[in-house]
Amino acid sequence: MIVAETCRQFLSDCGINPDRLVLEWASAAEAPRFVELITGYVNSIKKKGGVGSCEGEADAETIRRRLDAAVKAAQARKPRTALGLLAKKLHKKGEYTQEAIGKGVSSKILPALRALRIREEIKLLLAGASMDVDELCKVLSAGPDELEKPLAEMQKKGVVEVHDGKFRLAGK
Amino acid sequence: MCTMYCPRPVVDTYNERLDITRAPHIDYAQAIPSSYYIDARACLRVNYETCNLCAQTCTAGAIDFTEQPKELVLNVGAVVLAPGFGRVDEKVLEKFGYGRYPDVLTAFEFERLTCASGPSEGHIVRPSDNRPPKKIAFLQCIGSRDETCGNGYCSSVCCMYAIKEASVAKEHEPDVDISIFFMDVRTMGKGFDDARKRAQQKYGINVVRARVPRVDEVDGRLALTWTTGDGEHHSGLFDMVVLSVGLESPEDAGLISQVADIELNHYNFCRTSVDAPLVSSRNGVLVAGAFQGPKDIPESVTQASGAAAIASELLADSRNSETVTVTYPDEDKSLEEEEPRIGVFVCHCGVNIAGVVDVKAVRDYAGTLPGVVLYEDTLYSCSQDALKSIAEKIKDNRLNRVVISACSPRTHEPLFQETLRSIGLNPALVEMANIRDQCAWVHAQEPERATEKAKDLVRMAVAKARLLAPLDQPTVDVTPTALVIGGGAAGMSAALSIADQGYNVVLVEKGRSLGGNLKRLTWTLDGQDASMVLKDMVEKVKAHKNIDVLTSAKVESVSGYVGNFTSTISRGGKTEMINHGVIVLATGGREYKPKGYAYGESTRVVTQLELEEKLSRGKGFLKNARNVVMIQCVGSRGEDMTHCSRLCCTQAVKNALKLKDLKPELNIFIFYRDMRTYGFYEDLYREARRKGVKFIRYTLVRKPEVIKQPRGIMVKAFDELIGDDIEIPASLVVLSAGISPGENEELSRIIKAPLTPEGFFLEAHAKLRPVEVAVDGVYLCGLAHGPKSLEESVAQAKAAAAKAAIPLAKGKVAVAPIVSRVNQDLCIGCGICESLCPFSAITLEKVGKRKKAQTITASCKGCGICASHCPTIAISMGGFTDEAIMAQIHAFSPEGCKEG
Amino acid sequence: MAQENVLEKENEMAQEGFEPRILGFFCHWCCYAAADSAGVSRYQYPPNVRVIRVMCTGRIDIRFILEAFRCGADGVFTGG
Repeated sequence: MIVAETCRQFLSDCGINPDRLVLEWASAAEAPRFVELITGYVNSIKKKGGVGSCEGEADAETIRRRLDAAVKAAQARKPRTALGLLAKKLHKKGEYTQEAIGKGVSSKILPALRALRIREEIKLLLAGASMDVDELCKVLSAGPDELEKPLAEMQKKGVVEVHDGKFRLAGK
Repeated sequence: MCTMYCPRPVVDTYNERLDITRAPHIDYAQAIPSSYYIDARACLRVNYETCNLCAQTCTAGAIDFTEQPKELVLNVGAVVLAPGFGRVDEKVLEKFGYGRYPDVLTAFEFERLTCASGPSEGHIVRPSDNRPPKKIAFLQCIGSRDETCGNGYCSSVCCMYAIKEASVAKEHEPDVDISIFFMDVRTMGKGFDDARKRAQQKYGINVVRARVPRVDEVDGRLALTWTTGDGEHHSGLFDMVVLSVGLESPEDAGLISQVADIELNHYNFCRTSVDAPLVSSRNGVLVAGAFQGPKDIPESVTQASGAAAIASELLADSRNSETVTVTYPDEDKSLEEEEPRIGVFVCHCGVNIAGVVDVKAVRDYAGTLPGVVLYEDTLYSCSQDALKSIAEKIKDNRLNRVVISACSPRTHEPLFQETLRSIGLNPALVEMANIRDQCAWVHAQEPERATEKAKDLVRMAVAKARLLAPLDQPTVDVTPTALVIGGGAAGMSAALSIADQGYNVVLVEKGRSLGGNLKRLTWTLDGQDASMVLKDMVEKVKAHKNIDVLTSAKVESVSGYVGNFTSTISRGGKTEMINHGVIVLATGGREYKPKGYAYGESTRVVTQLELEEKLSRGKGFLKNARNVVMIQCVGSRGEDMTHCSRLCCTQAVKNALKLKDLKPELNIFIFYRDMRTYGFYEDLYREARRKGVKFIRYTLVRKPEVIKQPRGIMVKAFDELIGDDIEIPASLVVLSAGISPGENEELSRIIKAPLTPEGFFLEAHAKLRPVEVAVDGVYLCGLAHGPKSLEESVAQAKAAAAKAAIPLAKGKVAVAPIVSRVNQDLCIGCGICESLCPFSAITLEKVGKRKKAQTITASCKGCGICASHCPTIAISMGGFTDEAIMAQIHAFSPEGCKEG
Repeated sequence: MAQENVLEKENEMAQEGFEPRILGFFCHWCCYAAADSAGVSRYQYPPNVRVIRVMCTGRIDIRFILEAFRCGADGVFTGG
């Protein structure tokens, strides 16, 4: 449930309608229920259309790039530790309300995932073109304060460099 | 080859004589043994010493006409009689035009017509002109419930099989119009009423309640006349008439009885009693299946296991004295380590898959996938000869990964794993693509898209197969004790059987004494004193040295897995821990508490069990009684609960007869929906009618009403025959309250054993595994499984005991190798996995300076929550590795999806 | 995305009858069993879902779901 909620919030962050992901329950004895669920779900996705065509979603290209970045973010130790620790905490308390999970995920896990997603996405964007902070903010749907830290770190590590007031990948 | 060259045609009896074959033949593809044999009655060589063509053409030289019959002498400790059922005499069928009109078929013949491997390849056609019929009539009770042919009993299975055949026919030909003529609709099996309702609603099958006396031909069509319950006469023309013929005792029942020295009942079936339904009149001779009485597949399979349990009790002392151990060749490790050489086998499953999915296209598509070196289609992959041929092909082509594209891995993966093992490959190297249960069957109307889906599923399976790795096959020791939950008739029978087979039993009963519902029963259906049956059982249980009885006790928790369960039992404020290898669920059921019908408002309204309690105290309460009214299906069949409670009809008839015995002048009225006195209980029904008990049908829309009046009570009901309401002043109203499930929810949660929507425990497979639960090592019997008679509960309890004894007898169980493994180099010892594991199967141990996680293989169920929550991705799941699942996800995209 | 764009896309879908590609992760004991049982009962449902069997929904990693969307899934159905 925590995994599902994390994914929903992270999908949202990537510009995807979170309702494209569902977690449903059907026991071995509930074939009719299963059929109902799956039919209803397929129809709901039919209405939404392809990824990127549903109201409130980013365009397909942006989504594609964000997912590339998101997958890398999901491998990192920091957000994974946050996820594990939240699961452990809620499990101990036996607290499984939607509210507790939603709050926990948005305060503990999502920030770490988002930060990493932005960092990875910067790399992907700069691989294609040089961009200044304003441009980056726009395509990343992020504030300049969110970019400050990753850009500074990447500069320090020599991953990116500044040229004519624009950032670009080092060595390009 | 032999069949091809044989000049002698013989009728194909497997196809109900609708087709021809040759003297040497095999009955059907899945026949066991799967070898050809010669019909000696037709063979020219055997009868006239000519021909010999087959022997000359058989390339294997397997035909030897010099062989002579041999007599074998076997020393055995028990004999199980399972000769099946016999056929109703054709003379009986002639009354209905069979033999005279070609389009009058038996249901057995019709079944072959609907079958893909049948004579018409699954097309339903009239034998007279090979054209599809537009209107079909099924006539029920042919050779059953018919004293004129000597078969007074109900064959129990025909109502359901007629509905099944009609549904299948409708699936093949949606436009065909089908009517089934019933006397009563007897779908009393578990889940059967639901299936009947579906057939009526989904397929629009007409249910007519009438017995058709004869069949005539008019202008090439078949004419039927019938009279419905309201007295109206009807007639109609049909293109095909299917006779739902009953089950008889086997033709050679007399001979069997002589040879085995056992008694038969008055219908020539094996005589047994309610408290020992699987035991013949001769010690050590057991019976199972239709020879004990007409019954369906789930019950036959159950009885077969039950008979095995009794045989195992008899042979307990000599267990393991003549065993043969299966040995497997050593694994070919070097082949396993080579680059994946994948073989894909796409199964037709007759028409089950091939009728929807283009199997050949899927096969050819599989050939284009990377790593695939062999791709073939098979008619039935699971048949013995197909398995043999798959094994040979794996060897010949040096395959080291196999994809079976067929049915569900849940049912068939073990079979294919075994095939791999038998030729020295690790069983974990097979992967299945489920293109039947989750494709062909559920997308029957969209063959093209189903084929696309099947291709996708195969592509994903191949992608996973490429990354499959051999896994160890760990085994763990079994605690040789069974925990039986529930001390009623079923629980006690199961406990006794397991104990008699030589294992320890802990019998937990929540009440203060043993007995369950049997304590409330006065007579068994065969007229025995129920209290004597009970007393006998309780004494045996209490005296048995292997059985430990805990009353007023409750199971609080169960942990562990098959072979090594640990349960907490609370009793009188204290708790104790019990270690055991298996669990038998025999938690029973309850009499439904009626709502309405003035129940609880008047002392004159009682349930059948309450009536029995009165009867057991003598006939005093009947002194001033004139009219007794019984109402069936109180609470059952959609009144409150959805299921049929199966035994109330027989119970009502039994009690009505008892009342008639005590006071013959009593008027008894039984309001019913369908009288379901199946099997030999039909005798009781007929006797009740003969003794003047009045049976009046009602429907759910016009239920009988019980009206309390200042003096006594009145029952008001609609009588179909009169076409008007009738009023009966009743001295006593007896409600046939159904059987409701016990409080199963909590136990279902504790054991993780699923329940049916009605609240009974769900068996792993209705026909193949009727007494097993989806959880390994947990077995099921009695009312916990669903409504059934004492006799059926006892048989089922024996069956559960047989299954439960298997791991106990083996002494070791294999642990599924799908367990988690921790890469300790990556592990940072955070302990998240340890805290989340629902089975306490992961612990932190000190390795060097740091703590590292470690899996307790025997406890691990392979759920993978540890892996998905590991910060450093240090945990890998056997058979479901990250890499394998990622490969499946990548293969989900038809264009393929590159790694990010 | 601009409003016209959305409308255009919707029209396109209506014309072509958009058939989404959906990935399912089904628990072996529950949803996968229910799906098998639906087959046995011959219930019919749309053929848009491709299924990956897992031993428990607990197995599902956030990486799997993100990867599924990255690989072109229009939806992911996890069934316990």
